[in-house]
Amino acid sequence: MKQISGINTPLKGGMAVLKQFDINAHSPDGYIFTRWLAALPWWTPLMMLTIIVAYPTIAYAQSGFSTYDAFDALWRWMPFLVFSGFWFNVLISFWTLLIGTVAGVALGLGQISPFGPLRAFSWFITQLFRNSPWLVILFIVLLALPFEFTLFGQTIRVPDWMKGVFGLSLPIMANISEVVRGAVQSVPTAQWEAAESLAFSRRQILWQIVLPQCLKRMLPPWMNWYAILTMATPLCSLLGIEEIITLSRQAMESEDNHPELLVPFYGFALLLFFAYCYPIARFTMWLERKYVVKT
Amino acid sequence: MNNFFKNTISSLALVAMSAGTVSAQCTNDVWNKVMSNGKIVIGVKADYKPWGFRDDSGNLVGMEIDMAMDVAAKMGVEAELVPVQSSNRMQFLEQGKIDMMIATMSDRADRRKIVGIPGPNYYTSGTNIMAPKALGFTSWEDLRGKKVCGKQGAFYNQITEERYGVEIMAFTGNAEAKQALRDRKCVAWVYDDSSIGSDLSSGNWDEFEMPLASEDDNPWGLGVPLAEASCVFGNFMSGMQYNWHREGSLIALEEKWGIKPTAFLQMQNERNSDWIE
Repeated sequence: MKQISGINTPLKGGMAVLKQFDINAHSPDGYIFTRWLAALPWWTPLMMLTIIVAYPTIAYAQSGFSTYDAFDALWRWMPFLVFSGFWFNVLISFWTLLIGTVAGVALGLGQISPFGPLRAFSWFITQLFRNSPWLVILFIVLLALPFEFTLFGQTIRVPDWMKGVFGLSLPIMANISEVVRGAVQSVPTAQWEAAESLAFSRRQILWQIVLPQCLKRMLPPWMNWYAILTMATPLCSLLGIEEIITLSRQAMESEDNHPELLVPFYGFALLLFFAYCYPIARFTMWLERKYVVKT
Repeated sequence: MNNFFKNTISSLALVAMSAGTVSAQCTNDVWNKVMSNGKIVIGVKADYKPWGFRDDSGNLVGMEIDMAMDVAAKMGVEAELVPVQSSNRMQFLEQGKIDMMIATMSDRADRRKIVGIPGPNYYTSGTNIMAPKALGFTSWEDLRGKKVCGKQGAFYNQITEERYGVEIMAFTGNAEAKQALRDRKCVAWVYDDSSIGSDLSSGNWDEFEMPLASEDDNPWGLGVPLAEASCVFGNFMSGMQYNWHREGSLIALEEKWGIKPTAFLQMQNERNSDWIE
C-alpha cells in the first residue's frame, strides 16, 4: 500500500493533510436533549404563555369566535385535561420507567455476562429495540396484546394505557441496558483485577464493588431517559389511548372545532410538559456536573 | 371391511352435518354474557359532536349516547360506555372489547363482513364540502386535481379521490383540517353535510359555503358481533331501531341535540308508523 504521510503513516514534518478524526467531537452526547432543555432560561414558560395568548389575537382578529372565547373554553376544560389527561401521561411515563429499568438492568448485565450466548442474545435485543422506531413498536404491542387475559380463572382486563406502557418500555429497556453496560465498563479494569486478587467472586465484585460505584454514574442518564420518555408519551394518542392529546382533540371537537382553539389547547399541553420536564432536566444536569469524572 | 367403510363415511357425514348445523345455530355468547353480567359495554364516539362527544367535565354525551342508554335500559342492564375511534371501532367489536357499538358508522358492504349490522338503519348522511365563497365551486368536477382537506378514517376520502381526482390531505382532527382550509393549504374541506351545515349556521364561517349537491347519501348502522347478527342480539337491535323509527324517538333526539332535521328520519317515521292512531 502506498504510504501517505499524515494519512496512514505518522506525520513527518510539513502540514497535516487531514486532522485526526475525533469521534467525540462529532457525535452528539447522550444528554444532548436534556442539556438543551436545561439551558433554557427560567422565564421560557412565561414567554411561551405570552406568545400563546398573543398569537391568536393577531392571527384571527377577523373571526367571530374570539381569543377570549377560546381561552374561556380552555379554562373550563383545564381540570379535565390535567386530571384525566396529563395524569395518564405521568402514569404511563412512571410505569414505563419502572418496567424499562428493571428489564433494562437485567439486559445490561446480560450484555457483560461471561456466558457468550447470553451476551449475544442481550446485545441483539438491545440493538433491536434501540434502533426501532418507537411508534412501530407501540403499534405492534397494541395490536398484538389481548385486551383481557385469564389468570387462575380470573379475567383481568388490560387497560389501553397499560399497553402503551408495555410498548414504550421496550425501547426504554434497550437504552437503559446500554446505560448499565456503559457504566459498568467505565469502572477501570484494574478494580476487577484488584478485587480478584483479594479472592472476591465475580458476583461479589459486580454487586459489592462495581455496581455501587455505577449507581451515581447511571443516575443522570437514567433521568435523561425519563425526560425523553415523558415527552414521547403523546405518541400514545395516535393509538387512541386516552391521554392529554387525545382528550384535547375531543375537547376541541366539543367546542365545535374552531381553529382558534388549536393554539390555546396544544399550547397548554406544551406548557404542562415543559413545566414537568424542565425541573427534571435542570436537576439531571446538576447531578451530571456533580458526578462528572474529572480528567 | 365394506361395513367399516360405510360406517366411517356415514359417521364422517354425520360429523359434517352436525358441524354445519352448529355453525348455523345461535350460541348467543355475547348476549348471554351481557345478561349474566348485568352490564353491556357499548362503543360510542367521543369526537363527533353532537352524536358522541364530551361535556367539559369529561362525561360522554350526545345523540348516540342517549340511544345507547336506551338500549341498556330496555335490556335491563347497566351501560358502560367506551370511546372508540373510526379507525379502531370494528376491531374493538371483533376482539370482544365492546359488546356493541353505536358510533356514526356508515353501513358499507365491506364492513358487514367484519361486524353485524342489523337493519333498519338509524340515520343517514351525505358527503359535501365547505369551500370559500370566493372560489365559486358549482360541481364536484371543479375540484379535480386540487387539494382538499379531510379527516382521517372517513370512507369518502378515498371515494372523492377516485371519482373526482382530488388530492386529499387527511388530518387527525377537524380543527386542524379547518385551520388548513383557512390557511389556504387546500381549496375545500370534505366532511358530512350535517356537520358542515351546523358550522355554517354558527356565523363563524361567513366567507364560506356548502356549494355542491350532497353525494353518497349513506345510511348509518350500529354494530353487533358478526356471529350474532341474525340471533337474539341482532334481532333485538332491529327491534330497537324499528321502534325508534315508529315512535319518532330519533326525530325527538335530533331536535334535542340541535341537528338539522333529515328527510330520512321523517320518511322512516312515516313508513313505520302505527296504523292504529
